[in-house]
Amino acid sequence: MRALLDKIYLGAGYLAGFFMVLILLSILTGIAGRLFGIDTPGMDAYAGYSMAASSFLALAYTLRRGEHIRVTLILQQLGPRGRYALELFAHAAAVCLSFALAWFSVRLVWQSYVFNDVSQGLDATPLWIPQIGMAVGAVLLLIAFVQGLVELLITRRTVEGREVTAPIE
Amino acid sequence: MDVGAAIVLVVLVFVLLGAGVWIGLALMGVAWIGMELFSPRPVGDAMAVTIWGASSSWTLTALPLFVWMGEILFRTRLSEDMFNGLAPWLERIPGRLLHTNILGCTLFAAVSGSSAATCATIGKMTLPELAKRGYPESMAIGTLAGAGTLGLLIPPSIIMIVYGVTASVSIAQLFIAGVIPGLVIAGMFMAYTIVWSLLHPDAIPRPERRLTLIEKLKASRHLFPVVALILAVLGSIYTGIATATEAAALGVVGALLVAASQGVLSWRTFVESLLGATRLYCMIALILAGAAFLTLAMGYIGLPRHLAEWIHGLGLSPLALMLALMVFYIVLGCFLDGISVVVLTMGVVLPTVQAAGIDLIWFGVFLVLVVEMAQITPPVGFNLFVLQGMTGKEITWIARHAAPLFVLLIAAVLLIYYFPGLVTWLPRQMM
Repeated sequence: MRALLDKIYLGAGYLAGFFMVLILLSILTGIAGRLFGIDTPGMDAYAGYSMAASSFLALAYTLRRGEHIRVTLILQQLGPRGRYALELFAHAAAVCLSFALAWFSVRLVWQSYVFNDVSQGLDATPLWIPQIGMAVGAVLLLIAFVQGLVELLITRRTVEGREVTAPIE
Repeated sequence: MDVGAAIVLVVLVFVLLGAGVWIGLALMGVAWIGMELFSPRPVGDAMAVTIWGASSSWTLTALPLFVWMGEILFRTRLSEDMFNGLAPWLERIPGRLLHTNILGCTLFAAVSGSSAATCATIGKMTLPELAKRGYPESMAIGTLAGAGTLGLLIPPSIIMIVYGVTASVSIAQLFIAGVIPGLVIAGMFMAYTIVWSLLHPDAIPRPERRLTLIEKLKASRHLFPVVALILAVLGSIYTGIATATEAAALGVVGALLVAASQGVLSWRTFVESLLGATRLYCMIALILAGAAFLTLAMGYIGLPRHLAEWIHGLGLSPLALMLALMVFYIVLGCFLDGISVVVLTMGVVLPTVQAAGIDLIWFGVFLVLVVEMAQITPPVGFNLFVLQGMTGKEITWIARHAAPLFVLLIAAVLLIYYFPGLVTWLPRQMM
């Protein structure tokens, strides 16, 4: 189960990297279009959509790699029991907040689809399509935090994979 | 009611951040609770729309690209090249090769948007080389910690993009505004190193074999890649050929070309740089998403407007306001990283700044300067973390030896206050 989930996060991370390349390609296409006088409408918007997809799809993968920052000042001062309690609080709060983010991101896709929301820019993209990236990424983040909370209860390791009592870098 | 709301929100920020909730999510939590308590608007949908808008805004696309550019350059031999190109010229200046830290960071800052990346890339070469030659460790590490912060001020700059997007200020103009203050500060750091070396003549190792002018010029060819990149990125912005985003895209291509020309561009390093950039940007993006929602919530609650009116009513002089803001940001910067500090406060502070009639470009540079200080103040300072990782020294030890540079940064704030032209003159010359 754990290995499978980590593979999914990693896969989404690679996908996020792919979208990072798409940001670059969209901008370069825009520049080339201007140089050669070819009209390339909406490239700015595509770069923006790719950026949103890249950042959200990488959320869970980045979290498991321990690269989402948080303040550990107080955690470091506490003894093992206090630290465990505070980690529980932080993980539980993160589950609640990432649930809200996931729920309303999915709802946003649904609403954009139902109300046929179209981008105001030159690209005139139906917005629910690029918003899928945000929804998928937010759901993966929620799954990662739920997994993190469960693992914290069972193995006393944080979502980043650090022992609760181990020194924090 | 208003004071009550403000107190509740500040306490919430402290509780959530202090408990170790991931920063972006903590900001979302504060915004959520604040809106539920103090505004009749439905929260969830407003959150999703705001976060979507902020995360997909094209003005922000320069940010991930500059992050990626830095990740590519970190994997090249650029830092060795810069050391080899700079070192021969510095043997006659008191402090000698210590200046490779400062000049190296200054040059690299012009292709890198982050302070930690500048610190890590330059230090990877200078720290071992300086140690091998017997330079005092305290000065080698201290000057590197301080000079690394120039990565934020000298364009491109991640923090300036964040500020420009939040405050709706031209990122290109902000970038150009940072050039002269950046060079002035580099000069101040070098002057400090020279004075220190004159006071401690025994601490600096003897010069190595003097090179002839021809040899020096030959060694300088190593500087060609970095200078070419600087011209491509900054030149295209300054002349107005490219927007900041386009310059970032050119920068990524240029960095890939540098890597290819050095023979270090394999599929593996490409993917590593890509994933590294994706993770780093993702970390920043989560904070920006939370901050966008928090700014929205603050706006609904009306806190920034009331704060601005209150501060306006105090009748502070501009100098007093600036000093108060500086102290506020230095304290905040002790506990939070630079980006979080900026996005957390921007929504609240900006109306005050505008009401006081402060130029927003000037304020951007001011903000970058105080965030630079935050990079080297314990207990939370990213340059300190980077250098701790590289040298194994205690954070407090590093911070102590970076303290003189911290003082110089404060002096720089006063300097741009009394001579605002340092900031505003160059952007006005742009086309």
